[in-house]
Amino acid sequence: METEWGCSMAEPVLRVEALRKNYGQLEAVKGIDFAVEPGEVFALIGPNGAGKTTTLRIVATILRPTEGTVMVGGLDVASQSAKVREYISYLPEEAGAYKNMTGESYLEFVADIFYTDPTRRAEALARGRELTDLGERLKDKCGSYSKGMTRKLLLGRTLMTQPRLAILDEPTSGLDVLNALEVRDSIKSYARSGAAVLLSSHNMLEIEYLSDRVALIHEGRIVDTGTPADLKERYAAQSLEGVFAEVAR
Amino acid sequence: MRRFFVLVRKELKELVTAQMLLPLALVIIMFVLLGNVLEGEMDRGREAQPIGVADLDGSVLSAQLTDALSQGNFEVVALEGVDEDTMAAELAERDLSYGVIVPAGFEAAVQRGASASVDTYGVVRSFSLNSLGQAETLNAVVGAVNDAMSSRLIAEGMPGSNPAVVKQPVANVEHVIVGDAEAQASVESVYGFITSQTTFIPIVLFIVIIFAAQMIATTIASEKENKTLETMLASPVSRTALVMSKMVAAGTVALVSAGAYMIGLRSYLGGMSGDEAGPFQSPQGATSAIQELGLGLGSVDWALLGATLFMAILIALAIAVILGAFAENVKAVQSLIAPLMILVLIPYFLTLLSDIQSASPALRAFVLAIPFTHAFMAAPNLYLDQHQQVLLGIGYQAIWLAVLVLAAARIFASDRILTMKLSLRRSR
Repeated sequence: METEWGCSMAEPVLRVEALRKNYGQLEAVKGIDFAVEPGEVFALIGPNGAGKTTTLRIVATILRPTEGTVMVGGLDVASQSAKVREYISYLPEEAGAYKNMTGESYLEFVADIFYTDPTRRAEALARGRELTDLGERLKDKCGSYSKGMTRKLLLGRTLMTQPRLAILDEPTSGLDVLNALEVRDSIKSYARSGAAVLLSSHNMLEIEYLSDRVALIHEGRIVDTGTPADLKERYAAQSLEGVFAEVAR
Repeated sequence: MRRFFVLVRKELKELVTAQMLLPLALVIIMFVLLGNVLEGEMDRGREAQPIGVADLDGSVLSAQLTDALSQGNFEVVALEGVDEDTMAAELAERDLSYGVIVPAGFEAAVQRGASASVDTYGVVRSFSLNSLGQAETLNAVVGAVNDAMSSRLIAEGMPGSNPAVVKQPVANVEHVIVGDAEAQASVESVYGFITSQTTFIPIVLFIVIIFAAQMIATTIASEKENKTLETMLASPVSRTALVMSKMVAAGTVALVSAGAYMIGLRSYLGGMSGDEAGPFQSPQGATSAIQELGLGLGSVDWALLGATLFMAILIALAIAVILGAFAENVKAVQSLIAPLMILVLIPYFLTLLSDIQSASPALRAFVLAIPFTHAFMAAPNLYLDQHQQVLLGIGYQAIWLAVLVLAAARIFASDRILTMKLSLRRSR
C-alpha cells in the first residue's frame, strides 16, 4: 500500500543514507545514516558544530548533499526537492517573522502558499490560530511580538499545514519555562497524530521529554542511536545530559 | 503563477511601510516647496526693481538715461542732493539695492565726443543667483543706454545712415541641421529645448535605480538575517518565483516612486526656470524650428525610452539581488551596494558632461559596456532618430538582464544563498 505522496506505508518518512556535506575543505557531515518513522519524534543531539543544523537544512531541501541519499516519503531531496517541499515544514533556529505583517496576515500568507482550496485554507488557518495561541495579538504586527510570541507564531506556521515531516531546529530556544512547555506539548501531540518530527536541541530535558529516539552526533558522525532509556542504560548515565557529556568527551 | 502573485503581495506589504513612505513624501514635499519658493523668487526678480538715481547733470541726455532705466524694468527713485559720499547712506536709508549717479558734465562730455561715465552702485545683501541676475540686468540697462547714446552719435555724425547697420554691418542668420532636416534657428535654442526635455530623465533614473537597489538588497539581507528566507526556501515556491517576486515588487515600488519624484522634480525645475508650465516646454520662437527639424518623440520613441529605462531598473535590481545575497546582515548592504552606485554614476556623469560617441575608442567601449549607459543615452538618440542605437542598447541590456536573473536564480537555488557571505568587518 502506498501513501498519497507515493511512498510505501512500510517506508520510513525520512531515510538518510551515507550523507556527506562539505563546505569547501570543511567536512561538516561525514556519512550519517538514520530513519524517522511515521508518528515518531527523532532528535539529533550533539555539541555546537557537530553537523545538526546542516543535516536539518539538507532534509529541508535548503542545502544540497555532497554525497549520499536523503529520501522524504520516497522522494529524493536533491532531485525532487520541489515535490518534497509540499510535504515538509521547516522551523529554523532563532527565526523571525515579517515585521511589517500582522501575525494573522503571516498565517494567511503561508496558507495562500500551500492551499488553493478555500475550505482547506480556512481549516489550516484555524489550526494555525489555535497552535499559536496568540488570540487578539494575532492582529498586531510581528515586529511588536516578544521572542516567545514569535516562536509560537512560527511553530503554528510550521504545523498548520500538517506536514508529513516537521523539521524543528531548537524549537524552544530562548523561550521561558511556560512557553517552552506549551511548545513541547504542541509538538508531542502533533507527532501523535501520525506525522514525523525531526528536531535538534541543546536542551537534554526537552529531548528526553519529546523524543522517541535520539541520534548522538559528534564531529559530523552519528556516534549512537537509541531511545533515551536505551542510551542512558548504555552509557550508565542518570540523564541524557550525562550521555551527551560522555559522547562529547 | 498564483504563488508568484502571493509572493509579490507579501513583498509589497513588506516594502510599502510608513518608514518608506514618509521620506518619499518628505522629499516630494520639499521639491514642491523649493519649486514654489524659487518661483516666487524668480517672480520677484522679474518685478520692476527700485533704483535710486542722482542726476547731478540735469541735462536732456541725463533725462533720457533715466527714461532708459524706467523702460529697463527699473522703478526710478529720484535722489536729490546725493553725491558719491552720501550715496551708500542714502541707499541704506531708503532700502534700495541699486543706485546710479549721473555726474555733472555728462551731456557735455558726450557732445564733445569724449567718453562719458556714470557711477552705478549695487548693494550686496546675499550671494543668490537672483541677486546676480539683478546685477546683470543693471549692466544690460547701462548697455542699452550706451546703445541709445551711440545711435544718437552715429545719426548726428553720419546723417542718412542706419545706426543699427553701422554698429553691426554683418548679420548672422543661423541655420541648424539635424540629420537631413534643416531649420532657421540658433543651435543654442535647439540645444536648450532638447536639454529641457531630457535633463530630468537621468536624474530620476539615477534616484530610482539607487532607491530600488537598496530596497531589494535590504529585504534580502533582512530575510537572511531573520531566517525568514530559510523558511521560504523550504516552502513549495520556485526559486525563480522568489527572485522575480522580489524584483517585480521592488520595481513596482520604484516606478511609483519615480513618478512621484518626477512630479516633485517638475515642480522644482519649473520653479528654477520660472516657468509655471514647467521646464518641459519648448523655448519661445524655437517651436517651429523644432517641428521642422523633426525633434519630437512619437509613441514608438516613448515606448523605446520606457523599455530601456525599465531594463536599466531591472538590471539594477538583479545586481542588487546578487549583492543582497552576499550580505551577512542589513548593515552590510550599504557597503555592498557601493559598486552598483559607481556603475550608475560613471555613465550618468559622462553622458551629462560629454559626448560618448566622440570619446576615445577605449573610453567609449568601456562606457558602452556598462548597461546603464544605454538608458542615459536613449533620449538624445531618439530625438536624433538614431533608433538603431537605441534598439541595440535594449538588446544589449536584455542580454545582461537574462544573465543576471539566471545568476540570481542559480544562487537562490544553490547552497550559496546561505553560505555566501561577505562581511566587511574585520574577522575576529
